[in-house]
Amino acid sequence: MIYEFRLPLIVPQMVAATVECLYAKPGEALKTGAKLLDLSVDLSSAFAQECPPVSFFRVVMREAVFLRKLDVVPGQLCHLNEILAVFSTEADEDLDVLPARAVRVAIAGIMHHSGMWTGNDL
Amino acid sequence: MTSIDLHLGPLRAEGCNIVRSGLRWLCRSGQYCRPNQVVAYCNISLDPVRARLGGPPLFADELELQVAFAPRIGGHISINSSAARGGYLDVRGIDPWDPDTVIASIKPEPGPNDQVDVSQLRLLMLAGRRMTALADAPSGLLPGWHSRTRGWWCDPGEQPVTLLSLGICDATGLVVGEQCAFFEMFEAMPMAAQMVFVPDHPLAPAAPVLLDQLQRTPTQFDAIAADLKGFLSEAAVTSPDDWMFAGTLLSTMRRNPIRDSYNVYSPAGPARLGPADAVLLSLNAEPQTILQHRELGYRVHIMRHHQAAAGPAIREWLAEAFVPVRRSIDDIKRDYEALIDNMARATGARPIILNRMSTSGYEDISSYMPFDAPMSDVLSNVASKELNLMLNDIADQRELYVVDVDAIAADLGGGEHLPDGVHQSGPMQMVLRQEIIKILADLQPARASVRR
Repeated sequence: MIYEFRLPLIVPQMVAATVECLYAKPGEALKTGAKLLDLSVDLSSAFAQECPPVSFFRVVMREAVFLRKLDVVPGQLCHLNEILAVFSTEADEDLDVLPARAVRVAIAGIMHHSGMWTGNDL
Repeated sequence: MTSIDLHLGPLRAEGCNIVRSGLRWLCRSGQYCRPNQVVAYCNISLDPVRARLGGPPLFADELELQVAFAPRIGGHISINSSAARGGYLDVRGIDPWDPDTVIASIKPEPGPNDQVDVSQLRLLMLAGRRMTALADAPSGLLPGWHSRTRGWWCDPGEQPVTLLSLGICDATGLVVGEQCAFFEMFEAMPMAAQMVFVPDHPLAPAAPVLLDQLQRTPTQFDAIAADLKGFLSEAAVTSPDDWMFAGTLLSTMRRNPIRDSYNVYSPAGPARLGPADAVLLSLNAEPQTILQHRELGYRVHIMRHHQAAAGPAIREWLAEAFVPVRRSIDDIKRDYEALIDNMARATGARPIILNRMSTSGYEDISSYMPFDAPMSDVLSNVASKELNLMLNDIADQRELYVVDVDAIAADLGGGEHLPDGVHQSGPMQMVLRQEIIKILADLQPARASVRR
């Protein structure tokens, strides 16, 4: 079974998110609870102001799958509903098959950390 | 209903003639205006009656002086078109302040009216201290780049209570309002008050930064300045951004807003107000990691969007001369306690702290197993809950007002009114503003004022 992860609407006013860091590589078996990636959502375009309203989020797996494709890099801006990753339930399943559904993930608001693409506080 | 002429009313400054520009209108003729809604403003010059002996003029460091006007009752306003002169005459002081000048008339709403003299406008005095005298933007409300702005209002017989806002965005919006001229606070606040706003650039007002500022001696400041000058003079590359940043940083660090006293002029006459009665802070301003100078020991916190203003040499200085120090929640608590105790000893100011939104409808955590302990280092909502509890612990032991942003946002709907957890909607700001006004009303009997 092929699953996909598209950028979901995490905050109602968002139109995109930036990939902050990756925790997994294609080919890896991910367990339930494994970290997939961190994202930041900047609402500056929705709320014009100098102090950017940026929030950080972590995407965590809620089911055991194989990560087959992860076509993003830290710093990449992704748009809503864009496919960020493809998964399969078997290690070598044909990826030409249409995804059966969205992969099950949990999304949590997190603190900024030093591993993120967005710079540290000095 | 008969129209009532609206007069400028009295305004007096010590040893000065008050000269005003033409008016700039913020409403249209015929428009309905609420009671205390600012409808116009003008620039002010204070011309000494005679040469002042010793010392600079009273408002020498506040180059932006303005007065804004509001009717005391609601109604449809009819503008006196000659009050606006156009061009530079609405910028420069041209007319002596005449309390009998009629700038508009108002057709009041029917109904009882308990105001003593509704024909006299309510005045909001505004003052801005420029970050540099070069920041000369002659037009608009409190125009230019300021290291401090303030607005005050009082009628004869009243003494203002002063609130100093040292928070970041979540506190700033409440105090300065949408036009950055304190209009909303002025309109919502029936009693005499002064609002003072010190911006968060380049130094964000985290507790350790404020504590260092409060305790810093002139000798310590000289050492800081010498260290920075030394680094820049030896840097391989410096850009104009470096010098601008360094100048701004030093200008900020040599001041101590908590100890500031304030000259005011008003319908009641001139006065000198003591240091702020209350200081508004934001829990969101407390970082997990703060920079501490390796040799001189002082702390700085510069938010990411302000770091972008630094040139290469300042970035190098921050990276080499400072060490990042991780702060646990207990560390933040100790910093707050030290600041509150020192502030109480130095000026008697009471702290008001905005707590943090600690829930989010955007999360769908079904298990906390994937997140490493301590979860307050990872999950922002867990961190917010623990920090909010920490504030309550401090309030049990010390005189501290906590404004419960968390509960208010949950009540109004965080998704709609606090989408990123920091920047509130207008309706939410109104609710929070009322909380602050209640606290200031509590403090009013205790505040100190030194009359000249």
